[in-house]
Amino acid sequence: MAEAVVELQNVRYRYPTGAEALAGVTLAVQPGERVALAGPNGAGKSTLVLAMAGFLWADGTIRVAGHTLTRGSARDVRRHLGLVFQDAEDQLFMPRVRDDVAFGPATMGLDEAEVEARVRAALSAVGLEGFADRAPYHLSVGEKRRAALATVLAMRPHVLVLDEPSADLDPRGRRALIDLLRTIESTLIVITHDLDLALETCERTIVLDAGRVVGDGPTAELLGNPAFTDAHGLEVPHALRGQGGGRADGRGLHGKE
Amino acid sequence: MLDHFANRSTPVHRLGAAAKTVSLVAVILATVLVTRGRFLLLAPVAMGLAAYHAISRTPLRYAVRRLAVVSPLALAVVALFPFLEPGEVVWRWPATGGGLVVTREGLLRAGDLLARFVLCSWASLLLLATTQFQDLLQGLARLHVPRVFVTQLAILYRYLWVVIDEAMRMRMARIARDGGLGPRSLRFRSRAGVVGVLFLRSWDRAERIYRAMAARGFDGTLHTPRPGRLRPVDWVFGAAVTAAAVALVLGDRFLYG
Repeated sequence: MAEAVVELQNVRYRYPTGAEALAGVTLAVQPGERVALAGPNGAGKSTLVLAMAGFLWADGTIRVAGHTLTRGSARDVRRHLGLVFQDAEDQLFMPRVRDDVAFGPATMGLDEAEVEARVRAALSAVGLEGFADRAPYHLSVGEKRRAALATVLAMRPHVLVLDEPSADLDPRGRRALIDLLRTIESTLIVITHDLDLALETCERTIVLDAGRVVGDGPTAELLGNPAFTDAHGLEVPHALRGQGGGRADGRGLHGKE
Repeated sequence: MLDHFANRSTPVHRLGAAAKTVSLVAVILATVLVTRGRFLLLAPVAMGLAAYHAISRTPLRYAVRRLAVVSPLALAVVALFPFLEPGEVVWRWPATGGGLVVTREGLLRAGDLLARFVLCSWASLLLLATTQFQDLLQGLARLHVPRVFVTQLAILYRYLWVVIDEAMRMRMARIARDGGLGPRSLRFRSRAGVVGVLFLRSWDRAERIYRAMAARGFDGTLHTPRPGRLRPVDWVFGAAVTAAAVALVLGDRFLYG
């Protein structure tokens, strides 16, 4: 097997308040894999992302694209780990979409022509050609999300990590996002509790609960098991539900109590 | 927005931001340096601004409204001068010789201050009305204003409206519950609460924005795109305005004696 592009070994993190957010997470993602990281609220998903990029200093070992995360290597790790944050408003901090997409490549020290080429390629990859001179403030939620994705795509990271990409999106925006994610070829880690999105975009799912990996396997197999999803505060994706609804006891949303 | 009329296309809109910024500084310096009371020397400044205003086709109402927004403090100072400046008494109250005295010198001084204030504000608002904010920022970068300062302005401009939107939403949430009625003390307290929450949210947001920057390799050095070249027309405009301003100040010093 090829060397894992993301490798976590026994990653632990305790908030200053004493609450344990990550209780020893071990996982590996191979190049080209598309992995959903699912779990209920408070499972530690976002904490894990922050730890992976060195925004929190967790115990254990974190390796991204061959770089072991230390205080000295955080910049290299971040360069290979394309993080798209949940609130696109925070990701788009420049006055124009163009400047924002150019920020990463320019910071990498690329020359102007290359930066310009990457901006154009990234905007066209997310279907935002013609938005370069628009102000982020005036974009719709869906457009902001896609622009945020472009800012990271322009850096051509080894791994793309998206935190709750479908939050706040209406069905059309969500559909456009799913279609877009399916076209992306790099290694993908999608943090979500939108399990239908996970099913459509990722062949593998890792379920986190109470700071631990509680399930890891093919998405349809893992999430199609009502007993498992029930136990961890999730629901079987709509697309996998039979007549019995999404719960172990057969009670669907509209089922009789 | 701040640069509401800035995306029109008139000769003055098309001028480079750096040329316009230099001109603004020259106009303000000349206006401030002319000896007090020489209203005749302020007339050419007013005529120049009027010509620029006419070419830019900025609505007069917009200019007056903007002026009204910035005037209260200046007007308060101006209103005090007639009473404070010693000199020939033109009006007193009570008429039999009492505490309140208006002097000729005081009135002149107030008029002088008012004229300068109006001219400087007018010049500034014309710059904002005919220059897109991001062009203005590039102009400042072009003039070697420190990058940190330019970037702070850019981020301020980017998030100003996000914060205002947040404040509006909280205001609506409050009115939705108290109908805008409620005891005055409670309303006052809730307003104070809104300010506090806004501050904390902005603080959190700043943290998230920093993470989004760091995730894309930000290490404190900014690589903003290099500003465009100065065109001949920019040189001519900037030089002409600056020369006129210098002539005005020199004329004031030497011709008037």
